[in-house]
Amino acid sequence: MSSVISVSGLVKTFGRTRALDGLDLDVRAGEVHGFLGPNGSGKSTTIRVLLGLLRKDAGTVRLLGGDPWRDAVLLHRRLAYVPGDVTLWPTISGGEVIDLLGRLRGGMDPRRRAELLERFDLDPRKKARTYSKGNRQKVALVAALASDAELLVLDEPTSGLDPIMEATFQSCISDVRADGRTVLLSSHILAEAEALCDRVSIIRHGRTVQSGTLGELRRLTRTSITAETVHPATGLDTLPGVHGLRATDHRVTFDVDGDHLEGALRHLTDAGLRSLSSAPPTLEELFLRQYGDELAAAGDTGIGS
Amino acid sequence: MPDQTGTGTFLRFAVRRDRVRLPIWVAAGAALMAVQSSSNQEFYRTPESLAAYRASAGSNAASIAFSGPPVGLDTVAGTIAFEISSPLVLLTVLMAMFTTARHTRADEEAGRTELLRSAQLGRHAPLLAATALSAAASALLGLAIAAAATLSGLPAGGSLLLGAATASVGWVFTGITAVCAQLTGVTRGVYGLVGGLLGLSFVVRAVGDITGSGLSWASPIGWAQATHPWSEDRWWPLLLPLAVTPLLLLGAARLLDSRDSGSGLLQPRPGAEAAPPSLAGPLGLAWRLQRSTLLAWGLGVTLLGFVYGGLAESVKTLLGDNPDAQVFFRGDPTADLVDSYLGVTLRITALMVAAYGVSATCRTRSEESAGRAEPVLAAAVSRSGWFGSHLLVALAGATGLLLSDGLATGASRAMASGDATDVLRLTGAAVSYAPAVWVLAGLAGALIGAAPSAAVPAAWLAFGAVLVITLFAEGFDWPAWVTDLSPLSRTPTAPAESWAAEPLLVLLVVAAGLLTLGLATFRRRDLATG
Ligand SMILES: Nc1ncnc2c1ncn2[C@@H]1O[C@H](COP(=O)(O)OP(=O)(O)OP(=O)(O)O)[C@@H](O)[C@H]1O
Ligand SMILES: [Mg+2]
Repeated sequence: MSSVISVSGLVKTFGRTRALDGLDLDVRAGEVHGFLGPNGSGKSTTIRVLLGLLRKDAGTVRLLGGDPWRDAVLLHRRLAYVPGDVTLWPTISGGEVIDLLGRLRGGMDPRRRAELLERFDLDPRKKARTYSKGNRQKVALVAALASDAELLVLDEPTSGLDPIMEATFQSCISDVRADGRTVLLSSHILAEAEALCDRVSIIRHGRTVQSGTLGELRRLTRTSITAETVHPATGLDTLPGVHGLRATDHRVTFDVDGDHLEGALRHLTDAGLRSLSSAPPTLEELFLRQYGDELAAAGDTGIGS
Repeated sequence: MPDQTGTGTFLRFAVRRDRVRLPIWVAAGAALMAVQSSSNQEFYRTPESLAAYRASAGSNAASIAFSGPPVGLDTVAGTIAFEISSPLVLLTVLMAMFTTARHTRADEEAGRTELLRSAQLGRHAPLLAATALSAAASALLGLAIAAAATLSGLPAGGSLLLGAATASVGWVFTGITAVCAQLTGVTRGVYGLVGGLLGLSFVVRAVGDITGSGLSWASPIGWAQATHPWSEDRWWPLLLPLAVTPLLLLGAARLLDSRDSGSGLLQPRPGAEAAPPSLAGPLGLAWRLQRSTLLAWGLGVTLLGFVYGGLAESVKTLLGDNPDAQVFFRGDPTADLVDSYLGVTLRITALMVAAYGVSATCRTRSEESAGRAEPVLAAAVSRSGWFGSHLLVALAGATGLLLSDGLATGASRAMASGDATDVLRLTGAAVSYAPAVWVLAGLAGALIGAAPSAAVPAAWLAFGAVLVITLFAEGFDWPAWVTDLSPLSRTPTAPAESWAAEPLLVLLVVAAGLLTLGLATFRRRDLATG
């Protein structure tokens, strides 16, 4: 499949801050790609480079087959963007902002605009100054979703939305995917990424630390197992890839690395498996594991262990 | 929770936030005072030079319009009071306006008040603290002025009176700002209202001082100037601001009680459901964002033009009282004295228009740092398209302002003189300031392109320097190369001086160069948000 966004070795510094330090990102046509990372890891900076708002220091960046800095205007006709911090012109109404952004981008579908206003329950007549944070967010979302852009770049698009609107947003993204359009979605909300994304990239300190489908990522990480056995399952702690073992007479709980799952299960079967429950890691756990050492370093030992 | 809870805490917080700004205002006031005092004591050492000054300034409608009533000009101290009171008042009012608005409406608009209010802060606390801070700062500025004047060798009593009179205008405008901050929900709107009222106070007293009609008593600036420091030394006019300020503050508190937090008393009307066809490209957006400010400026400048044009006739009356004056009148000796007066007023208005040009250009920077440029530039809009649109609105707007000033001055002059060609003559004279104004706006644009984070203060610093040079260089006999630094001084003071194409062409080239530099650097740099 062809790449809509391909970034490799991207470096961006602000004075002495190295915001991006060799970042890689590959977004394929037609997928919803989750772009995850803790605060200050460089998500918004990457997106601004992709939009030609910031100039890269090193690395290669291709967007929709072009150079995001040089071909900015041409490329922007084909994408729609929702900024992380939506600030609007205080005296211009929401409806006017939506139309304006649509026209600046080169057109939007009026039917879809009306439908989205309905779905997001947004009053377009209010001046932007009188909108709440969530409603400002909705203005930017409607403007982006009403376009026929082939790529949507969304920087934490649901911050400030209530749970009902969050659900509306998710169904809109499903529609976008069904249309075969591509979405880059930066997010803190892992449940949202789990629900929406085909693939995710996790970044930290301006570097990509993991990237792949959720399935692939899960294989790289641990599964939690709780099992009851006929005989006490001794010797589990000698197996490779087993962590956090807690055992009472006939009951064990532990985490096991994806590639050692089979050996651990065989060991349990040998002890006479009576019941077994296993939970694949949630993105939350992936995330925590990825940053666990950071948290542990910060003195928060409860999570890393 | 009582309404005033937490005022002390908020006040301490406000002082902390302003610990750099306020001392700068105060020091600027003291410095202005000291410079004016020492240079006047130097210039008017001899009785002859003092008499000459009295003859020229005392009968010059332009200098009365911009300074105040020509009282006490028979002493050096009197000339100092005459020349410095308007600049000091302007400085104090700006400080009071910014201080009061920043800790009331601006905080509320940014949502900071909400955060604080939830943490044990009474409803009236921010208003009380902000006005107390502004009033105290005005008093401090007054004391600094008094100290600087006394130290420069002027009588202490008059020095204290000048300081108190200046502070009193700060108090009145603290009250006015407090009221305006309740009326509108946008900080920019507060500045617009207060600026308008300041302009009105200034014009009202100018008309009063020139016509001698007592109209000056309708203006808080007139009250302060009625004290006549170092000559008549009257304290009683200060009773007026002392009575009016508490009334204004009470009014502001009452208005605060009758509105919701975060909104103004003047509720914004609901907007349009869909954008009009004009709101399409970057130019449509820039126009939409700037048009109401421009309209307000247009009204102000037109009014000013009418007033100044209309006052031209009284130049003759003033001169009738003082036959010696003609000898000392500045400008081309062959020029008509009325033209000389008109030349000065057009130049002063052009300075104001230049301020508009700089502020309209700086709008790009506030759009950028607030993050509102980002969604536009992430759409199919080029850097030059966005930046250029704002610059175009700023430059064309400033030109339109000069045009309306010229037309208004010309029309009201023509009504008195009966000579219809005055309209054309004065409009031409006003519009010939356009290249100079473009140079200043272009400089702001170049700064924003090349050094965004320092650009706005640097642009205003440059404007301030041009203001000082344009107003004072000639009077203080500064060397020619200093005068030449001001693009406005390079523009002939038509109709007093004869019109010349060459300096204007030079200015045009400089403006074009600066604008090109601004566009080129803006296209190549990172968008600087925050
Ligand atoms: N204009 C700037 N000047 C200086 N430093 C910057 C600038 N923009 C970003 N940074 C720094 O770059 C780093 C990455 O910031 P970025 O905004 O990209 O993070 P983020 O992943 O979007 O964070 P968040 O989840 O909080 O939105 C941070 O350390 C930030 O302080
Ligand atoms: Mg961000």
